[in-house]
Amino acid sequence: MSKIEEVKALVEAGKSKKIAAAVQEALDAGDKAQDILDAMVASMSVVGDKFSAGEIFVPEMLIAAKSMSKGVEVLKPVMAGDTSNSLGTCIMGTVAGDLHDIGKNLVVMMLESAGFDMVDLGVDVAAEKFVQAVKDNDNVVLVACSGLLTTTMPALKEAVQTVKAAFPDMKVIVGGAPVTPEYAAEIGADGYAPDAGSAAVKAKELVA
Amino acid sequence: MLSIKQNLLETIQGGNPDRFVKQYEFLDIIMETPMELALCPGPGTEIVNSWGVTVRWPKGQIGSFPVHDAEHIVLKDITEWRKYVKAPSVDYPEERWTAAIEHVNSVDRNEKYVTTLVAPGVFELTHYLMSMEEGLMAFYEEPEAMHELIDYITDWEIRYAKQVIDHLHPDALFHHDDWGSQISSFISPATFEEFLLPAYKKIYGFYKANGVELIIHHSDSYAANLVPFMIEMGIDIWQGVMSTNNVPELIKKYGKQITFWGDIDSGKIDTPDWSQEVIAQNVEHACRECGKLYFIPGASQGLNISSFPGVYEAIDVEIDNMTKKMF
Repeated sequence: MSKIEEVKALVEAGKSKKIAAAVQEALDAGDKAQDILDAMVASMSVVGDKFSAGEIFVPEMLIAAKSMSKGVEVLKPVMAGDTSNSLGTCIMGTVAGDLHDIGKNLVVMMLESAGFDMVDLGVDVAAEKFVQAVKDNDNVVLVACSGLLTTTMPALKEAVQTVKAAFPDMKVIVGGAPVTPEYAAEIGADGYAPDAGSAAVKAKELVA
Repeated sequence: MLSIKQNLLETIQGGNPDRFVKQYEFLDIIMETPMELALCPGPGTEIVNSWGVTVRWPKGQIGSFPVHDAEHIVLKDITEWRKYVKAPSVDYPEERWTAAIEHVNSVDRNEKYVTTLVAPGVFELTHYLMSMEEGLMAFYEEPEAMHELIDYITDWEIRYAKQVIDHLHPDALFHHDDWGSQISSFISPATFEEFLLPAYKKIYGFYKANGVELIIHHSDSYAANLVPFMIEMGIDIWQGVMSTNNVPELIKKYGKQITFWGDIDSGKIDTPDWSQEVIAQNVEHACRECGKLYFIPGASQGLNISSFPGVYEAIDVEIDNMTKKMF
Protein backbone atom coordinates (compact mmCIF):
# COMPACT_ATOMS: atom_id res chain seq x y z
CA MET A 1 0.00 0.00 0.00
CA SER A 2 1.42 3.39 -0.97
CA LYS A 3 1.79 6.04 1.72
CA ILE A 4 -1.04 8.05 0.26
CA GLU A 5 -3.34 5.06 0.21
CA GLU A 6 -2.42 4.45 3.81
CA VAL A 7 -3.47 8.00 4.69
CA LYS A 8 -6.74 7.47 2.86
CA ALA A 9 -7.44 4.24 4.73
CA LEU A 10 -6.57 5.79 8.09
CA VAL A 11 -9.01 8.68 7.57
CA GLU A 12 -11.77 6.33 6.51
CA ALA A 13 -11.16 4.12 9.54
CA GLY A 14 -10.89 7.14 11.83
CA LYS A 15 -7.43 6.37 13.19
CA SER A 16 -6.70 9.83 14.52
CA LYS A 17 -3.71 8.75 16.59
CA LYS A 18 -1.86 7.38 13.55
CA ILE A 19 -2.76 9.91 10.90
CA ALA A 20 -0.21 12.65 11.63
CA ALA A 21 2.72 10.26 11.29
CA ALA A 22 1.26 8.73 8.13
CA VAL A 23 0.78 12.15 6.49
CA GLN A 24 4.34 13.12 7.41
CA GLU A 25 5.63 9.85 5.97
CA ALA A 26 3.72 10.49 2.75
CA LEU A 27 5.27 13.95 2.50
CA ASP A 28 8.71 12.52 3.24
CA ALA A 29 8.17 9.90 0.56
CA GLY A 30 7.64 12.69 -1.95
CA ASP A 31 3.88 12.79 -2.22
CA LYS A 32 2.54 16.27 -2.91
CA ALA A 33 0.57 17.94 -0.15
CA GLN A 34 -2.24 18.64 -2.59
CA ASP A 35 -2.49 14.96 -3.51
CA ILE A 36 -2.56 13.95 0.14
CA LEU A 37 -5.29 16.49 0.84
CA ASP A 38 -7.29 15.28 -2.16
CA ALA A 39 -6.98 11.71 -0.89
CA MET A 40 -8.32 12.71 2.51
CA VAL A 41 -11.20 14.68 0.94
CA ALA A 42 -12.04 11.61 -1.13
CA SER A 43 -12.03 9.46 2.03
CA MET A 44 -14.43 11.80 3.76
CA SER A 45 -16.67 11.69 0.73
CA VAL A 46 -16.79 7.89 1.08
CA VAL A 47 -17.51 8.28 4.81
CA GLY A 48 -20.35 10.73 4.04
CA ASP A 49 -21.88 8.37 1.50
CA LYS A 50 -21.68 5.43 3.90
CA PHE A 51 -23.35 7.50 6.62
CA SER A 52 -26.14 8.56 4.26
CA ALA A 53 -26.63 4.93 3.31
CA GLY A 54 -26.86 3.88 6.97
CA GLU A 55 -23.73 1.71 6.71
CA ILE A 56 -21.87 3.66 9.38
CA PHE A 57 -23.01 5.69 12.37
CA VAL A 58 -22.29 9.05 13.97
CA PRO A 59 -19.15 7.97 15.91
CA GLU A 60 -17.47 6.58 12.79
CA MET A 61 -18.12 9.88 11.06
CA LEU A 62 -16.79 11.84 14.03
CA ILE A 63 -13.54 9.89 14.26
CA ALA A 64 -13.00 10.11 10.50
CA ALA A 65 -13.47 13.89 10.61
CA LYS A 66 -11.15 14.13 13.60
CA SER A 67 -8.51 12.12 11.71
CA MET A 68 -8.78 14.32 8.66
CA SER A 69 -8.46 17.40 10.81
CA LYS A 70 -5.27 16.05 12.40
CA GLY A 71 -3.91 15.17 8.97
CA VAL A 72 -4.65 18.67 7.68
CA GLU A 73 -2.72 20.12 10.64
CA VAL A 74 0.42 18.42 9.27
CA LEU A 75 -0.25 19.74 5.77
CA LYS A 76 -1.00 23.32 6.80
CA PRO A 77 2.60 24.59 7.11
CA VAL A 78 3.42 23.02 3.74
CA MET A 79 0.39 24.53 2.03
CA ALA A 80 0.45 27.90 3.83
CA GLY A 81 -0.92 30.69 1.69
CA ASP A 82 -2.34 28.32 -0.92
CA THR A 83 -6.05 29.09 -1.05
CA SER A 84 -6.72 27.34 -4.33
CA ASN A 85 -8.16 24.35 -2.48
CA SER A 86 -10.88 26.27 -0.71
CA LEU A 87 -14.41 26.00 -2.00
CA GLY A 88 -15.10 29.29 -0.24
CA THR A 89 -16.44 30.27 3.15
CA CYS A 90 -19.59 28.78 4.61
CA ILE A 91 -21.44 30.42 7.49
CA MET A 92 -23.29 27.88 9.61
CA GLY A 93 -25.49 27.95 12.70
CA THR A 94 -28.50 26.48 14.45
CA VAL A 95 -31.36 28.96 14.20
CA ALA A 96 -32.80 31.20 16.93
CA GLY A 97 -34.49 29.44 19.83
CA ASP A 98 -32.85 26.11 19.07
CA LEU A 99 -29.92 24.86 21.15
CA HIS A 100 -29.24 21.59 19.37
CA ASP A 101 -25.70 21.39 18.09
CA ILE A 102 -24.75 17.78 17.40
CA GLY A 103 -26.22 17.62 13.89
CA LYS A 104 -24.88 21.09 13.14
CA ASN A 105 -21.41 20.11 14.36
CA LEU A 106 -21.43 17.04 12.13
CA VAL A 107 -22.31 19.16 9.11
CA VAL A 108 -19.55 21.64 9.99
CA MET A 109 -17.05 18.77 10.07
CA MET A 110 -18.23 17.27 6.81
CA LEU A 111 -18.26 20.60 4.96
CA GLU A 112 -14.84 21.45 6.31
CA SER A 113 -13.59 18.07 5.14
CA ALA A 114 -15.09 18.75 1.73
CA GLY A 115 -13.04 21.93 1.40
CA PHE A 116 -15.12 24.77 2.80
CA ASP A 117 -13.71 27.31 5.26
CA MET A 118 -16.27 27.07 8.00
CA VAL A 119 -17.48 29.87 10.25
CA ASP A 120 -19.52 28.20 12.99
CA LEU A 121 -21.86 30.67 14.67
CA GLY A 122 -23.01 28.08 17.21
CA VAL A 123 -26.59 27.63 18.37
CA ASP A 124 -29.55 29.97 18.92
CA VAL A 125 -28.39 32.22 16.09
CA ALA A 126 -30.62 35.16 15.25
CA ALA A 127 -31.37 35.75 11.56
CA GLU A 128 -29.49 39.07 11.56
CA LYS A 129 -26.39 37.34 12.89
CA PHE A 130 -26.18 35.17 9.75
CA VAL A 131 -26.34 38.37 7.67
CA GLN A 132 -23.69 40.07 9.78
CA ALA A 133 -21.40 37.04 9.43
CA VAL A 134 -21.70 37.17 5.65
CA LYS A 135 -20.63 40.82 5.80
CA ASP A 136 -17.80 40.16 8.25
CA ASN A 137 -16.13 37.28 6.41
CA ASP A 138 -14.34 37.01 3.09
CA ASN A 139 -15.43 34.94 0.16
CA VAL A 140 -18.69 33.70 1.68
CA VAL A 141 -20.37 31.42 -0.85
CA LEU A 142 -22.85 29.54 1.30
CA VAL A 143 -25.02 29.93 4.40
CA ALA A 144 -26.14 26.75 6.18
CA CYS A 145 -28.99 26.87 8.71
CA SER A 146 -29.93 24.00 10.98
CA GLY A 147 -33.05 23.43 13.08
CA LEU A 148 -34.07 20.35 15.04
CA LEU A 149 -37.33 21.41 16.62
CA THR A 150 -40.72 21.71 15.00
CA THR A 151 -41.17 24.79 17.15
CA THR A 152 -38.16 26.53 15.61
CA MET A 153 -39.17 26.01 12.00
CA PRO A 154 -40.48 29.61 11.80
CA ALA A 155 -37.01 30.77 12.91
CA LEU A 156 -35.48 28.70 10.11
CA LYS A 157 -37.77 30.42 7.63
CA GLU A 158 -36.86 33.82 9.05
CA ALA A 159 -33.14 33.06 8.82
CA VAL A 160 -33.36 31.99 5.18
CA GLN A 161 -35.53 34.93 4.18
CA THR A 162 -33.42 37.50 6.04
CA VAL A 163 -30.24 36.24 4.37
CA LYS A 164 -31.92 36.19 0.98
CA ALA A 165 -33.29 39.72 1.46
CA ALA A 166 -29.80 41.02 2.24
CA PHE A 167 -27.93 38.88 -0.30
CA PRO A 168 -30.32 37.68 -3.02
CA ASP A 169 -27.61 35.66 -4.79
CA MET A 170 -26.27 33.93 -1.68
CA LYS A 171 -26.82 30.18 -1.66
CA VAL A 172 -28.59 28.91 1.43
CA ILE A 173 -28.82 25.27 2.50
CA VAL A 174 -31.04 24.00 5.33
CA GLY A 175 -31.42 20.79 7.29
CA GLY A 176 -32.58 19.20 10.53
CA ALA A 177 -35.00 16.47 11.51
CA PRO A 178 -38.32 18.26 10.86
CA VAL A 179 -37.15 19.84 7.58
CA THR A 180 -38.36 18.34 4.32
CA PRO A 181 -37.31 19.18 0.75
CA GLU A 182 -40.76 20.69 0.26
CA TYR A 183 -40.42 22.92 3.30
CA ALA A 184 -36.94 23.98 2.23
CA ALA A 185 -38.26 25.03 -1.17
CA GLU A 186 -41.26 26.76 0.39
CA ILE A 187 -39.09 29.00 2.57
CA GLY A 188 -36.79 29.89 -0.29
CA ALA A 189 -33.71 27.79 0.51
CA ASP A 190 -31.57 26.70 -2.42
CA GLY A 191 -30.78 23.30 -1.01
CA TYR A 192 -31.77 20.73 1.57
CA ALA A 193 -29.93 17.74 2.95
CA PRO A 194 -31.33 15.01 5.21
CA ASP A 195 -27.99 14.23 6.89
CA ALA A 196 -24.40 15.43 7.23
CA GLY A 197 -23.04 13.21 4.46
CA SER A 198 -25.56 14.49 1.93
CA ALA A 199 -25.04 18.04 3.15
CA ALA A 200 -21.44 17.97 1.93
CA VAL A 201 -22.52 16.64 -1.47
CA LYS A 202 -25.32 19.20 -1.80
CA ALA A 203 -23.14 22.10 -0.63
CA LYS A 204 -20.50 21.34 -3.26
CA GLU A 205 -23.22 21.13 -5.88
CA LEU A 206 -24.63 24.52 -4.88
CA VAL A 207 -21.34 26.37 -5.17
CA ALA A 208 -20.03 24.57 -8.28
CA MET B 1 -64.74 -4.47 31.29
CA LEU B 2 -61.16 -5.38 32.02
CA SER B 3 -59.24 -3.53 34.70
CA ILE B 4 -56.49 -1.19 33.56
CA LYS B 5 -53.87 -3.78 34.42
CA GLN B 6 -55.75 -6.68 32.83
CA ASN B 7 -56.24 -4.67 29.66
CA LEU B 8 -52.53 -3.88 29.51
CA LEU B 9 -51.64 -7.55 29.96
CA GLU B 10 -54.10 -8.66 27.28
CA THR B 11 -52.52 -6.10 24.93
CA ILE B 12 -48.91 -7.05 25.50
CA GLN B 13 -49.57 -10.79 25.67
CA GLY B 14 -51.56 -10.90 22.45
CA GLY B 15 -54.88 -11.71 24.14
CA ASN B 16 -58.19 -9.93 24.00
CA PRO B 17 -57.98 -6.35 25.23
CA ASP B 18 -61.31 -4.54 25.30
CA ARG B 19 -59.86 -1.10 24.52
CA PHE B 20 -56.62 0.68 23.64
CA VAL B 21 -54.25 1.21 26.55
CA LYS B 22 -54.34 4.91 27.25
CA GLN B 23 -50.74 6.14 27.48
CA TYR B 24 -49.42 6.08 31.08
CA GLU B 25 -52.70 4.98 32.70
CA PHE B 26 -51.24 1.67 33.93
CA LEU B 27 -48.20 3.19 35.64
CA ASP B 28 -48.17 4.91 38.99
CA ILE B 29 -44.70 6.41 38.94
CA ILE B 30 -43.32 6.99 42.41
CA MET B 31 -41.71 10.37 41.82
CA GLU B 32 -40.96 10.78 45.54
CA THR B 33 -38.31 8.06 45.31
CA PRO B 34 -34.88 9.44 46.19
CA MET B 35 -33.47 10.18 42.78
CA GLU B 36 -30.22 12.07 42.75
CA LEU B 37 -30.17 11.71 39.02
CA ALA B 38 -32.80 14.39 38.78
CA LEU B 39 -34.46 14.29 35.40
CA CYS B 40 -34.07 17.97 34.81
CA PRO B 41 -34.28 21.34 36.48
CA GLY B 42 -37.34 23.54 36.13
CA PRO B 43 -37.66 25.88 33.15
CA GLY B 44 -35.21 28.76 33.38
CA THR B 45 -33.09 27.13 36.10
CA GLU B 46 -30.18 24.72 36.42
CA ILE B 47 -29.14 21.96 38.79
CA VAL B 48 -25.97 20.03 39.45
CA ASN B 49 -26.82 16.35 39.81
CA SER B 50 -25.01 14.07 42.18
CA TRP B 51 -22.58 12.94 39.45
CA GLY B 52 -21.55 16.59 39.20
CA VAL B 53 -23.25 17.20 35.86
CA THR B 54 -24.73 20.67 35.43
CA VAL B 55 -28.09 20.40 33.72
CA ARG B 56 -29.62 23.62 32.48
CA TRP B 57 -33.10 24.42 31.19
CA PRO B 58 -32.73 27.72 29.30
CA LYS B 59 -35.72 30.04 29.26
CA GLY B 60 -38.01 29.56 26.29
CA GLN B 61 -36.79 26.01 25.56
CA ILE B 62 -38.88 22.84 25.87
CA GLY B 63 -36.24 20.79 27.63
CA SER B 64 -32.96 20.75 29.52
CA PHE B 65 -29.39 20.18 28.38
CA PRO B 66 -26.24 19.04 30.18
CA VAL B 67 -23.65 21.83 30.09
CA HIS B 68 -20.29 20.92 28.59
CA ASP B 69 -18.23 24.08 28.43
CA ALA B 70 -14.71 23.96 29.87
CA GLU B 71 -15.93 25.23 33.22
CA HIS B 72 -18.69 22.65 33.67
CA ILE B 73 -17.69 19.44 31.90
CA VAL B 74 -17.13 16.63 34.42
CA LEU B 75 -15.09 14.08 32.51
CA LYS B 76 -12.20 15.83 30.82
CA ASP B 77 -10.29 12.75 29.68
CA ILE B 78 -11.88 9.33 29.29
CA THR B 79 -8.55 7.59 29.89
CA GLU B 80 -8.52 9.15 33.35
CA TRP B 81 -12.19 8.63 34.13
CA ARG B 82 -11.43 7.34 37.65
CA LYS B 83 -9.95 10.72 38.49
CA TYR B 84 -13.06 12.62 37.41
CA VAL B 85 -16.08 10.36 37.90
CA LYS B 86 -17.36 9.60 41.39
CA ALA B 87 -20.62 7.70 41.73
CA PRO B 88 -22.95 9.12 44.36
CA SER B 89 -23.91 7.15 47.43
CA VAL B 90 -27.11 5.12 47.27
CA ASP B 91 -27.48 4.97 51.04
CA TYR B 92 -30.19 7.50 51.73
CA PRO B 93 -31.39 8.24 55.24
CA GLU B 94 -34.60 6.32 55.97
CA GLU B 95 -36.65 9.52 56.13
CA ARG B 96 -35.86 10.15 52.46
CA TRP B 97 -37.99 7.08 51.67
CA THR B 98 -41.02 8.01 53.78
CA ALA B 99 -43.00 9.92 51.14
CA ALA B 100 -42.27 7.30 48.50
CA ILE B 101 -43.41 4.46 50.77
CA GLU B 102 -46.61 6.34 51.59
CA HIS B 103 -47.28 6.78 47.89
CA VAL B 104 -46.62 3.08 47.23
CA ASN B 105 -49.04 2.10 50.00
CA SER B 106 -51.78 4.19 48.40
CA VAL B 107 -51.59 2.40 45.04
CA ASP B 108 -54.15 -0.28 44.15
CA ARG B 109 -51.77 -2.83 42.69
CA ASN B 110 -54.65 -4.67 41.04
CA GLU B 111 -55.22 -1.63 38.84
CA LYS B 112 -51.81 -0.10 38.40
CA TYR B 113 -48.13 -0.95 38.48
CA VAL B 114 -46.08 0.64 41.24
CA THR B 115 -43.35 2.05 39.05
CA THR B 116 -39.87 3.29 39.68
CA LEU B 117 -38.16 5.69 37.31
CA VAL B 118 -34.50 5.80 36.33
CA ALA B 119 -33.11 8.62 34.20
CA PRO B 120 -30.75 9.28 32.61
CA GLY B 121 -29.65 5.82 31.55
CA VAL B 122 -26.21 4.30 31.16
CA PHE B 123 -25.50 5.62 27.67
CA GLU B 124 -26.96 9.01 28.48
CA LEU B 125 -24.83 9.30 31.59
CA THR B 126 -21.65 8.68 29.59
CA HIS B 127 -22.39 11.64 27.35
CA TYR B 128 -23.78 13.76 30.17
CA LEU B 129 -20.37 13.38 31.76
CA MET B 130 -18.19 14.15 28.74
CA SER B 131 -20.38 15.54 25.89
CA MET B 132 -22.02 13.63 23.09
CA GLU B 133 -19.17 13.94 20.60
CA GLU B 134 -16.47 12.83 23.03
CA GLY B 135 -18.70 10.08 24.39
CA LEU B 136 -19.41 8.66 20.97
CA MET B 137 -15.79 8.78 19.86
CA ALA B 138 -14.66 7.10 23.08
CA PHE B 139 -16.43 3.86 22.05
CA TYR B 140 -13.93 3.61 19.20
CA GLU B 141 -10.87 5.42 20.43
CA GLU B 142 -10.72 4.26 24.04
CA PRO B 143 -12.85 1.11 24.20
CA GLU B 144 -11.17 -0.27 27.31
CA ALA B 145 -11.80 2.87 29.33
CA MET B 146 -15.34 3.02 28.00
CA HIS B 147 -15.98 -0.57 29.11
CA GLU B 148 -14.65 0.29 32.56
CA LEU B 149 -16.80 3.43 32.83
CA ILE B 150 -19.92 1.57 31.72
CA ASP B 151 -19.21 -1.22 34.23
CA TYR B 152 -18.84 1.42 36.94
CA ILE B 153 -22.16 3.07 36.06
CA THR B 154 -23.84 -0.33 35.81
CA ASP B 155 -22.62 -1.36 39.26
CA TRP B 156 -23.96 1.90 40.66
CA GLU B 157 -27.32 1.36 38.95
CA ILE B 158 -27.62 -2.10 40.48
CA ARG B 159 -26.75 -0.83 43.94
CA TYR B 160 -29.39 1.87 43.50
CA ALA B 161 -31.90 -0.72 42.24
CA LYS B 162 -31.32 -2.80 45.35
CA GLN B 163 -32.25 0.14 47.57
CA VAL B 164 -35.38 0.88 45.55
CA ILE B 165 -36.47 -2.75 45.56
CA ASP B 166 -35.83 -3.16 49.29
CA HIS B 167 -37.84 -0.06 50.15
CA LEU B 168 -40.63 0.05 47.55
CA HIS B 169 -40.99 -3.42 45.98
CA PRO B 170 -41.95 -1.91 42.62
CA ASP B 171 -43.90 -3.89 40.02
CA ALA B 172 -42.51 -1.99 37.06
CA LEU B 173 -39.41 -0.10 36.02
CA PHE B 174 -39.59 2.89 33.68
CA HIS B 175 -36.05 3.41 32.48
CA HIS B 176 -34.86 6.19 30.21
CA ASP B 177 -31.92 5.96 27.83
CA ASP B 178 -32.15 7.59 24.41
CA TRP B 179 -30.29 5.44 21.95
CA GLY B 180 -30.79 7.33 18.74
CA SER B 181 -31.61 10.40 16.76
CA GLN B 182 -34.90 10.61 14.93
CA ILE B 183 -33.48 8.73 11.95
CA SER B 184 -30.70 6.45 13.21
CA SER B 185 -29.26 4.80 16.28
CA PHE B 186 -26.36 6.75 17.74
CA ILE B 187 -24.06 3.75 17.68
CA SER B 188 -23.96 0.71 15.44
CA PRO B 189 -25.72 -2.49 16.49
CA ALA B 190 -22.31 -4.16 16.88
CA THR B 191 -21.06 -1.44 19.24
CA PHE B 192 -24.35 -1.55 21.13
CA GLU B 193 -24.04 -5.31 21.49
CA GLU B 194 -20.50 -5.02 22.81
CA PHE B 195 -21.00 -2.18 25.29
CA LEU B 196 -24.62 -1.62 26.26
CA LEU B 197 -26.27 -5.02 25.90
CA PRO B 198 -24.20 -6.62 28.70
CA ALA B 199 -24.83 -3.62 30.97
CA TYR B 200 -28.57 -3.72 30.49
CA LYS B 201 -28.77 -7.50 30.77
CA LYS B 202 -27.31 -7.07 34.24
CA ILE B 203 -29.54 -4.13 35.22
CA TYR B 204 -32.83 -5.40 33.86
CA GLY B 205 -31.98 -8.94 34.92
CA PHE B 206 -31.50 -7.70 38.47
CA TYR B 207 -34.86 -5.94 38.56
CA LYS B 208 -36.64 -8.99 37.12
CA ALA B 209 -34.90 -11.38 39.49
CA ASN B 210 -36.15 -9.24 42.35
CA GLY B 211 -39.86 -9.12 41.64
CA VAL B 212 -40.19 -6.43 38.98
CA GLU B 213 -42.64 -7.81 36.44
CA LEU B 214 -42.53 -5.17 33.76
CA ILE B 215 -39.57 -3.40 32.18
CA ILE B 216 -40.46 -0.33 30.13
CA HIS B 217 -37.61 1.35 28.31
CA HIS B 218 -37.90 4.91 27.00
CA SER B 219 -36.01 5.95 23.88
CA ASP B 220 -37.85 8.52 21.79
CA SER B 221 -35.80 7.89 18.73
CA TYR B 222 -35.10 5.58 15.90
CA ALA B 223 -33.82 2.28 17.32
CA ALA B 224 -35.47 -0.36 15.12
CA ASN B 225 -32.04 -1.91 14.49
CA LEU B 226 -31.65 -2.49 18.25
CA VAL B 227 -34.94 -4.30 18.89
CA PRO B 228 -33.38 -7.80 19.01
CA PHE B 229 -31.09 -6.54 21.80
CA MET B 230 -34.03 -4.93 23.60
CA ILE B 231 -35.71 -8.32 23.66
CA GLU B 232 -32.53 -10.05 24.80
CA MET B 233 -32.03 -7.63 27.70
CA GLY B 234 -35.57 -8.18 28.93
CA ILE B 235 -37.50 -5.09 27.83
CA ASP B 236 -41.24 -5.75 27.78
CA ILE B 237 -42.32 -2.42 26.33
CA TRP B 238 -40.36 0.09 24.25
CA GLN B 239 -41.87 3.47 25.03
CA GLY B 240 -41.27 6.45 22.77
CA VAL B 241 -40.92 4.50 19.54
CA MET B 242 -41.06 7.15 16.81
CA SER B 243 -42.90 6.77 13.54
CA THR B 244 -39.54 6.72 11.70
CA ASN B 245 -39.11 3.12 12.95
CA ASN B 246 -41.95 1.72 10.82
CA VAL B 247 -43.83 0.52 13.89
CA PRO B 248 -46.37 -1.67 12.05
CA GLU B 249 -43.48 -3.62 10.56
CA LEU B 250 -41.80 -3.97 13.97
CA ILE B 251 -45.05 -5.24 15.51
CA LYS B 252 -45.37 -7.83 12.75
CA LYS B 253 -41.80 -8.97 13.23
CA TYR B 254 -41.32 -8.78 17.02
CA GLY B 255 -44.75 -8.16 18.57
CA LYS B 256 -44.93 -11.48 20.38
CA GLN B 257 -41.70 -10.66 22.21
CA ILE B 258 -41.97 -6.92 22.87
CA THR B 259 -44.68 -4.27 22.83
CA PHE B 260 -44.28 -0.91 21.09
CA TRP B 261 -45.61 2.25 22.72
CA GLY B 262 -45.71 5.41 20.66
CA ASP B 263 -45.94 5.96 16.87
CA ILE B 264 -47.18 9.47 17.60
CA ASP B 265 -44.20 11.84 17.41
CA SER B 266 -44.38 14.56 20.04
CA GLY B 267 -42.66 16.98 17.68
CA LYS B 268 -45.59 16.78 15.27
CA ILE B 269 -48.42 17.25 17.74
CA ASP B 270 -47.04 18.86 20.89
CA THR B 271 -46.55 22.37 19.54
CA PRO B 272 -47.58 25.83 20.73
CA ASP B 273 -50.35 25.93 18.09
CA TRP B 274 -51.51 22.32 18.64
CA SER B 275 -54.98 21.35 17.54
CA GLN B 276 -57.38 18.57 18.43
CA GLU B 277 -57.80 17.86 14.73
CA VAL B 278 -54.10 17.22 14.09
CA ILE B 279 -53.89 15.06 17.21
CA ALA B 280 -56.96 13.11 16.07
CA GLN B 281 -55.37 12.46 12.68
CA ASN B 282 -52.10 11.28 14.22
CA VAL B 283 -53.78 9.04 16.80
CA GLU B 284 -56.10 7.52 14.23
CA HIS B 285 -53.25 6.86 11.82
CA ALA B 286 -51.20 5.17 14.56
CA CYS B 287 -54.07 3.02 15.84
CA ARG B 288 -55.22 1.90 12.39
CA GLU B 289 -51.69 1.13 11.18
CA CYS B 290 -50.44 -0.58 14.33
CA GLY B 291 -53.56 -2.40 15.48
CA LYS B 292 -54.83 -3.61 18.83
CA LEU B 293 -52.12 -5.97 19.98
CA TYR B 294 -48.52 -5.39 21.09
CA PHE B 295 -49.14 -1.67 20.63
CA ILE B 296 -49.91 1.24 22.94
CA PRO B 297 -50.78 4.50 21.22
CA GLY B 298 -49.09 7.49 22.77
CA ALA B 299 -46.84 10.49 22.28
CA SER B 300 -43.12 9.81 22.28
CA GLN B 301 -42.67 12.07 25.33
CA GLY B 302 -40.93 10.22 28.17
CA LEU B 303 -43.40 11.00 30.95
CA ASN B 304 -47.13 11.55 31.43
CA ILE B 305 -46.84 15.20 30.50
CA SER B 306 -46.73 17.36 27.41
CA SER B 307 -44.63 20.39 26.53
CA PHE B 308 -47.73 22.49 25.86
CA PRO B 309 -50.77 22.46 28.17
CA GLY B 310 -53.68 20.27 27.12
CA VAL B 311 -51.87 18.07 24.59
CA TYR B 312 -51.52 14.99 26.81
CA GLU B 313 -55.23 15.06 27.71
CA ALA B 314 -56.21 15.67 24.07
CA ILE B 315 -54.34 12.50 23.07
CA ASP B 316 -56.28 10.53 25.70
CA VAL B 317 -59.55 11.83 24.24
CA GLU B 318 -58.56 10.67 20.78
CA ILE B 319 -57.44 7.27 22.04
CA ASP B 320 -60.90 6.86 23.58
CA ASN B 321 -62.39 7.81 20.23
CA MET B 322 -60.32 5.17 18.48
CA THR B 323 -61.41 2.60 21.04
CA LYS B 324 -65.02 3.37 20.12
CA LYS B 325 -64.21 2.99 16.43
CA MET B 326 -62.05 -0.13 16.58
CA PHE B 327 -63.24 -2.24 19.54
